[in-house]
This record gives sequence, structure tokens and C-alpha cells, in this order.
Amino acid sequence: MYKLVLATRYLLKRRITYFAVLAVALCVFIVVVVMTVMAGLVGDFKQKNHDFTGDCVVASESLVGFPYYEDYVKKLEASKVVEAVSEVIRSYGLLSPQGKDVTRGVEIMGLDPARHSRATGFGNTLHHRRNDILKAFVPSYDPNLPGCVLGIDLALERDSNGRYAYDSSPSRIGFPISCFPLTARGALAGAGTALANTKTFYYSDHSHSGLARVDDSIIYLPFAEAQALCGMGGETKRINAIHIKFKPDVKLTTGCEEARRLWSICKSEKANESQAYLLDTVTVQDWKLYRRELIAAMEKEQMIMGVMFGFVGIVTVFIVLVVFYMLISHKSKDIGVLRSIGVSGFDIIELFAGFALMVGLAGSCLGVLGGWQFLLRINSIERWLFQHFGFQVWDRTMFAIGDIPSEISPRVLTVIVLLAIAACLIGALVPSWQAARLKPVETLQVNQL
Amino acid sequence: MLKLFLWLRYLRKRRIVFLSIAAVALSVSLLMVIASGFTGFIKAYEQIAVDFVGDIVLQPPRKFPNYPVLLDRLEQLGAVEAAEATLSGQGVLYLGKGNVRAVHIQGIDLARAAKVTAFKSSLLKQKSSPNDPSFKSQDSRLQTQESRLQTPESRVLCPESCVLCPGGFVGIAVVREPDEKTDEYDFEAAEEIIGKPVVLTTGSVIEQKDSASPPGETQFRRRTLQFTVADIIFTGFYQVDKNYIFLPIEQLQKTLYPEQEPVAEMIQIKLSLGADVESAQAQIRGVWEGFVDDRLGGDRYLKEFVDIETAVEMQSQYVEEIRKQMGLLLLIIGVVSASVVVLVSCIFYMIVTTKRKDIAIIKSCGTASGPVAWIFVGFGGCVGIIGSGIGVVLGCVITENVNGIERWISVVSGLKLWKSSVYMFSRIPNEVNWFWVLPIVACAIAAAAIGALIPAIVAARTNPVEILRYE
Repeated sequence: MYKLVLATRYLLKRRITYFAVLAVALCVFIVVVVMTVMAGLVGDFKQKNHDFTGDCVVASESLVGFPYYEDYVKKLEASKVVEAVSEVIRSYGLLSPQGKDVTRGVEIMGLDPARHSRATGFGNTLHHRRNDILKAFVPSYDPNLPGCVLGIDLALERDSNGRYAYDSSPSRIGFPISCFPLTARGALAGAGTALANTKTFYYSDHSHSGLARVDDSIIYLPFAEAQALCGMGGETKRINAIHIKFKPDVKLTTGCEEARRLWSICKSEKANESQAYLLDTVTVQDWKLYRRELIAAMEKEQMIMGVMFGFVGIVTVFIVLVVFYMLISHKSKDIGVLRSIGVSGFDIIELFAGFALMVGLAGSCLGVLGGWQFLLRINSIERWLFQHFGFQVWDRTMFAIGDIPSEISPRVLTVIVLLAIAACLIGALVPSWQAARLKPVETLQVNQL
Repeated sequence: MLKLFLWLRYLRKRRIVFLSIAAVALSVSLLMVIASGFTGFIKAYEQIAVDFVGDIVLQPPRKFPNYPVLLDRLEQLGAVEAAEATLSGQGVLYLGKGNVRAVHIQGIDLARAAKVTAFKSSLLKQKSSPNDPSFKSQDSRLQTQESRLQTPESRVLCPESCVLCPGGFVGIAVVREPDEKTDEYDFEAAEEIIGKPVVLTTGSVIEQKDSASPPGETQFRRRTLQFTVADIIFTGFYQVDKNYIFLPIEQLQKTLYPEQEPVAEMIQIKLSLGADVESAQAQIRGVWEGFVDDRLGGDRYLKEFVDIETAVEMQSQYVEEIRKQMGLLLLIIGVVSASVVVLVSCIFYMIVTTKRKDIAIIKSCGTASGPVAWIFVGFGGCVGIIGSGIGVVLGCVITENVNGIERWISVVSGLKLWKSSVYMFSRIPNEVNWFWVLPIVACAIAAAAIGALIPAIVAARTNPVEILRYE
């Protein structure tokens, strides 16, 4: 009990401890704000990648793709762990909007909108056909024309606030798309004739996945059309990827294991087929692994930021150390009295550790409170700064970021508070140790009083 | 003298002062590394723009003919050393079995490009050659192979309708991505494609000239050409290495606009040494307007909507954004580092309270309150100077060896922190920015001195009579 009383007394009566509390609060405030924003950005980015990819992807990195997928898809659909499956064609093509003197290289993604929306979040990224996904590739102005869905940055402009100039209905614009059809051996299928296939598709909708590289470079085409355009149709059909969604109660690792098991069964069944060599290029990966290059970059930045704060946090440890050192040097008589009535050295360390805990808790509470209040207003502060000074944290015409993330993650918060308390305990360690070693005979000598 | 004596004594005897020195050093080095990293990145970004497009770029709103006349007129200006015309397009490149990439095509006049930009230094094979760079391979064995590939009879991949082009350059990452773990390119493997034929599909929008089409209606016309890879481009800037191929401008003109006279899209200009940029821009604008009047029928649209910008100005929006991020990061770290003031204050307060007798003796010898206060403020400043000095040395060591440190982390932990595909450059900028070091050091010294201020005032207000009383 006396430990609690003394610790509270030191906290309230010794003004020097306010410095330590303030230093901890400042550090916690900054870390809470920055890490919340970063965690929000990273979490949002991961979620968008998950939505774009589905839970698992069976894919070949080669543009030639892989054949005999039909049986594998049937097996997946019959599996207890799989909820939805979507076959996808991926290739590169040349896009040239009609009436504009521009051409640009784009990534082609051929898919069945209904199947793909069940396996991924594709349906939610559509604008005009969100509630009628089956008609995603049907232009509203002429249902007989072959339609295409454009990544939103290929279709619309963004203003300084990051808002798109949405159209009430898609305009009639044709996009001739040319691409190389490849044989199963990877050679040009059209050698001796035209080499590249060209077909005009009409703008039927746009897709806003929230991923800059996707929205800026992908054009979605009907599965069969893309398959024919890339030379993957014909007798032995080929695809580039299969996106899989697992049932809600299935763990990602369990689902991927099952997808791998089924794949190896299919592969061995087709081992004697003429194009079986293409099956060796196929990998089964969960969405995190499939998009690792992009996700890892964001996670690394978050980690580097954490390390930087770790270095700066050392200053806070120093402050706590100095404050405790001062306090103990002033309270040597108290300690001498305590030791003289039989309190052990370990109890003294406990007393100051408890005091450090209080400093850490008080500082963390203040910092969290300040950070929470700041985060609640962070977007309105940014808007005000933009209106009055033209300042934005991120230029929304350049970055695919909407509002600044401000939702505090309990996990992030817990880690920060625990680290702050740990910093205080580390800072208090050496002075507490010294206090525990004080001898009452020396501190309570008459000439010391 | 007394001050110096006391400072040295406090430094030796009060080891806790080293904590404040360490804190200052840590903050200074961290801020220095951040500022140097960001400014190095910005500098590299601006430099790559100059290396890639020259000092000034003239970009009209649409393609224009008769550009050799414009180039001659520009080169007659004293401020202009050389100028070149470029034409660009987009395409899909077939590199070999199952290997197709979307690429940006740049048509260049190689002789002029070598004068205007640092083009030659980015060619893997030809950069060390004493000869001018060429779209034909310098390797005699490959030259023979190429000449065989360039005859109409030896169309390796193309049908009759396909255009044959003597040679072109391909970005290294178009051919081969850097290693996923080390982020290093396998140059030998990439060079294997030199001398081999590749096929490019591109196209242009042309006006329909048949009687059935309404006037002004345009149509996309696909064009395919085969060329031999003469060399590999490695600029160290991922966006260029990953997306670009370079072809002779005449060949690209013939491919994209076969029925038209040669056109250009952009003029890249290198200024003479010591030329005034603003005055050069004005002169170039004058030449352009004269050229439009003489050769392009005085088209007002071309005159008014032409962009004549320096390469650095072209990057300004992105650079501004990076500067903003740097400012924010420095502010955040700077605010946390401001705790140094509190730390110094606490330590000095402790020194003052434990050294009250010393202070009282000094005051009893006739020293006024002001000089006593200055002892501690000066000592705070000294702590700031020593801490900053250590911080600067530490910051220099870290910044200059940042690539080695990153490699070491990668080897030890398997974590590759810097990737060219994410951060554009193959190497982390490692140049210390002294422009930022000075304000950081000044702030650190000021922070330490401010931290010493309150203890100094407490020391100045010490009453020697009370302190030195016998009881």
C-alpha cells in the first residue's frame, strides 16, 4: 500500500515528473497520429488488394497461360472450402480511343463479370453496373456492341480533392485494342499473316478498385473475347489465372492447401497431354503472396517509420532516467527511512517501477487523448489548410488516397502504450537500482540531515 | 577562462551530461539522414530528367512537320548548344516465347541525342566505345547477324506487311526484371538479347480519306515492325529501364505516319555552358513563333499553347510533393526531438541544485548574476555543439554508407528495404546535403541553450549568503 501512496505522492507533488509525463505524452501523441494514419493506409491498401485478388490465385507468370483448367475449376467448385471461382485472361495490349490522337499500352484482363464478382470485389468497383453485374460488358447505349470496363483513371479525370468527374451514363466511345495472340509454345500465333489481333470494344463502365496501378492501366474485357484476342481460344483453351474465394469459415492456409492439393491431382491427371509442360509454370498462392511486391513495400515503410520513432523514443527514455535520477537523489532520506524499517531493495525497485508505470500511463493517456482528438479532426484540419493555404498532406491529383485514415486501431494503440510504459520502466531502471543500493546508515547520518 | 574551466569540469564530473549530448547527437543524425535522403532523391530525380530530355523541352500541343528547319534555327542561338527532335508512341513488344511487354516507344536522332542528353552513358555495350553510339551493334559478329536479319528475305518473325527496322535499344527491365531478393540486374543475361530480332506492334490515329467516311473521321491503324536489339539501356531509373524502347526517329515516322512528311512531337534542347535559362527560354520562344509563322502558316494554337519548360520545371509537381513529405517528416521527428530541451533542462537543473555552493562562491567573489547565468547557457550551447558535431559525423557515416547498410540488413535479415521498382532508382541517394545540415545543427544548439535557460536563471538567482551560511 505504501508503494502506491508514495508513487502517487511523487507523481503529484514533484513537479519535475510533469516533464517526464509531458515528454511521454508528446511522443505518444505523435506516434499515435502517424502510426494510425500509416496503419490506415497500409490496411486499406491490403484490403483493396484482397478485394482485387480474392483469397487465392492459381496463376502462370507466363503470358502463354496454361491449359486443361476446366477440370480443375470443376474440382474447385465441388470442394467444400471454395465459395467461388473465376477464370481470368491477362495480357498486354495497345489501346487507342476513337477520335483521340493517342495510343497507350494497357493490361488486358478478360473475365466473366458475374463469376469474378463472386470470387473478388470486382462488382463493387463498378459504377454504372454495380447493381446489374451481368451487364457489365453491355454498353447501355447499344447492347449489341461488345463492351469493355476501363480502369477509372483511364476513363475519368480527378480534381484537386481527388474526386472524379463521374458521368451520368457511359459515353459512346470505341476502343480498338490490339494484342499479340500467342501459341502454346509462346510463338506469335499470327506469324505469316497479321501478327496482332485487333478488335474494337465500347466503353460500358469503369472500375474503381482504389489501387492506382490497377485503375490506371487495366482494361477489363469479356472472357471469351479476351481469350480469342490473345490466341488462347481454339481446341485447347488456355487461361492465365484462376481467382478463388473461400467460404467464410475457411482459414486462408487451409483453403490454399486444398487448392494446391486439387491442383497437383489435376496436374498428374493431365501429365500425358500434349501441352502438359505449361502446367509446370503454375503456382498456387494466397492473395498476400500474390501481391507481395506491392504490399511489402508499404509494410516496409511502416516498419522504417516505427524504427525512426524508436530512435527518437530513446530521448524519452533519457528524460525519464534523468527525472528519476533527480527524484531519487532528492529522496535519499525517504529511501533511507524505508530501508531502516526493513523494506528490501527489491521493494524499493518495485516502488520506483510502479512510479514509472504511473508516469508512463499518465503520459500515454494524455498522448492518446490528444492523438484521438487530433485524428477526429485531421480531415477537417486538412480541408481548412487546403482552403486557406492550398496545403494538402497528399496531392489528391497524384495519389489515389481519399480521406486521411483516422480510425485508431486498438492493436496499434495497445502496442504504442505498452512501448511507452516499457520506455518509462527502462528509464527508471538504473536510478531504481541505485536507490535500492542506498545504505540507510549513510543516508540517515546526522551530517546528511 | 572560469567558464571554460567549469564547463570542462562539469563534463568530466557529471557524466549524466553525456545523456543530453547523446540525445542531441541522435536527433541531429536522424534529421540529417532524413533530409539528405529526401534531397538526394529529389536531386537524382531532377538530374535524371536533365540526362533524359536535356535542359529545356519545347512541346507544342500537336505534332508538327519541317522540324529540321527549327533545329537549325535553334542551334544558331548562342544560348543553345544542341537540339534534337523526338517522336513517341506506345506499343506492345514481343521479345520471345511467351514474353510480351507494353512499352513506350521513343523515336530519336541518335547523333543529336548524344549531344543533348546523357544517352550514350546509359548504353550497356556502347558506353565504353570511342565511337558515336549507333543503332547498329558494334560487335562485328552481331553486325553480320543483324545485316542478315535486315534483308527483306530474312524476315524472322514478320509477314510481308511488317516494317523492317535496322536496330533499336531496349530498357534493361523490359528484357529482364531485377532479382527479387537482391534487386540487382543480371547484365550478362540481359545482354543475351542483343543482336536478336523482336517485334513491335504500335499504331497511329489517321484521318479516313476514303469517300465513304465523313470528313474528319479518324481511325486507328495498327503497324508492326521488326527490329534487332542493338543495345540495352540502363539508366538506373526504373520507369525508363522498365518501359522504354528507342528507335530511329525516321523509322518511327515511316511506321506511324507513312503518308505524311516527317513530323516531330517534342524538341529537346541542351543549353550552352553558362547560358541564362530564362533568357534562353525567351529566345527559344521567339524562334518557335518565327518558325510557326514561316513554316506552319502562323497557327495561333501552336504558338499559344506551346510549353517551353526546363527539365526541372517539368518535374516540379512531383518534386514539390516529395519536398512536402520531407517537410512533414522533418516536422514530426523535429517535434519529438524537441524533448531534448526538456532533457537538457532537467539535467542542468540537477547540476545547478547540486552545485549551489560552487555558484554561491562564484557570486561571493563578485560575479554578477548575468555572467553566472551565461555559464550555464554557454554550457548548454557547448552540449549542443558537441552533440551536433557527433550527430553530423554519425549522419555523414550513415548517409554515405546507406547502400552498404541496406545491403547488410538484406543479407542479415533477408529484408530488402530499397527496391528500384518501388523507389525508382537502383541505388539509394547517398549524398549529404549540407544546406540542411546547417539549420539542423543551429536548431540543435539553440534547443540545448534554451533547455539550459531555466536552470541558468535559477543559478543566477542564488543568494550566496543563504547558501554559504554555516548552519
